[in-house]
Amino acid sequence: MSEKVKSMLQGVGVLACIALVCGLLLGAVNRFTYVDPLAATYAQFAEDTGASFSEMTDEEGAGYGDGSVVYYALSDDGGWHAFLASGGGGYGGDVQIYLYIRGTVIEKIVIGENGETFLGKLEEADFYSRFVGKDVTSLDALSVDGVSGATRSSAAVKNAVEAVVQYYNEKIAGGENHG
Amino acid sequence: MDKTKIKETFLGGIIRNNPTFVLVLGTCPTIAMTTSLFQAFAMGIATTFVLIFSNLFVSLLRDLIPDKVRIPCYIVIISTFVIIVQMVMQKFMPDLYTTMRAFIALIVVNCIILARAESFASCNKPLYSMIDGFSIGLGFTGALCLIGIVREFFAGGAFAGMKIPGFPAMSGTGASAFGFIVFGCMMALFNFVIQKVNERKEKMKAASLPLSGGKAERLGEVQV
Repeated sequence: MSEKVKSMLQGVGVLACIALVCGLLLGAVNRFTYVDPLAATYAQFAEDTGASFSEMTDEEGAGYGDGSVVYYALSDDGGWHAFLASGGGGYGGDVQIYLYIRGTVIEKIVIGENGETFLGKLEEADFYSRFVGKDVTSLDALSVDGVSGATRSSAAVKNAVEAVVQYYNEKIAGGENHG
Repeated sequence: MDKTKIKETFLGGIIRNNPTFVLVLGTCPTIAMTTSLFQAFAMGIATTFVLIFSNLFVSLLRDLIPDKVRIPCYIVIISTFVIIVQMVMQKFMPDLYTTMRAFIALIVVNCIILARAESFASCNKPLYSMIDGFSIGLGFTGALCLIGIVREFFAGGAFAGMKIPGFPAMSGTGASAFGFIVFGCMMALFNFVIQKVNERKEKMKAASLPLSGGKAERLGEVQV
């Protein structure tokens, strides 16, 4: 075996060993820090609305345009419709939002998992409040003004809201009413 | 174990090799994460953790890692610890994690960590490497916090999230451009102070030399 091949194999071997050990280490840490997405969503819903939720509908990312609905739940007292929605088109991938509807009016939007670096601008411009107080049966989320300088983050949030609006009008307000 | 070396390594990371003000490494997180003191502090601590452990492991494996594949090896080790930080933050500090997520992931390519692995940990013993990681991390955290305090004061009229009465926020100072200006001024100030201190030390040394010489002569005279 030539010297060159030998040194190459040595390099590959060492790198593979390090990667394996690192992988095992990560697996071990993950056992302690794993967050069950369903339980985390329940906790977030309860924290944001103050209501209790016991039945979650897993929509598995039912897509509407560039957005999708991940989880939907109706609060036990029937007052709140809580959504975890995801919007595509962000600067760092998808942006998740928690959206709460009371009756047919959007009450609250809380930003969830995301890879955006310009979210501060959305907060500064009070972007989320542009949806709050709107009636979902007549809202066109995509036509809401975005924030300049964070166009793509705004677009991702708008896509997520639009997905909820369409989901609500199709599945909740129209016919199969869960509440 | 050499006490003077430990001390030198420790002080070196904070002052002589201060990653932000002297080596000018890791400028990206410095500008991005110093809009408030709390964020700056959190970023500094996360980076310090990664630095300590990546330095330790690089140092432990320094004889095993072939020269040709050393950079990929360092990156694998560094990214492992960054992911650990990410997982721990996600579990225990979900709010902070939501705002900082993109920047935590970017610690992997933070040049401070790679530079310390390459220039220090790969040719020093594990203990010294850990101390170096810790002190460089402290220097970075301190620098970030200083910039964070100034920027938060101007952009929000606040200190650590608390409003200071009588100081309104100045518009436009929240932008990254202002961050660069603060960064530059801080760097100049830091280096000015270090230079003055060094000059003074040298002067004292120079002044004490003839004095001690004179003393020796006098002693000699007495003896004669």
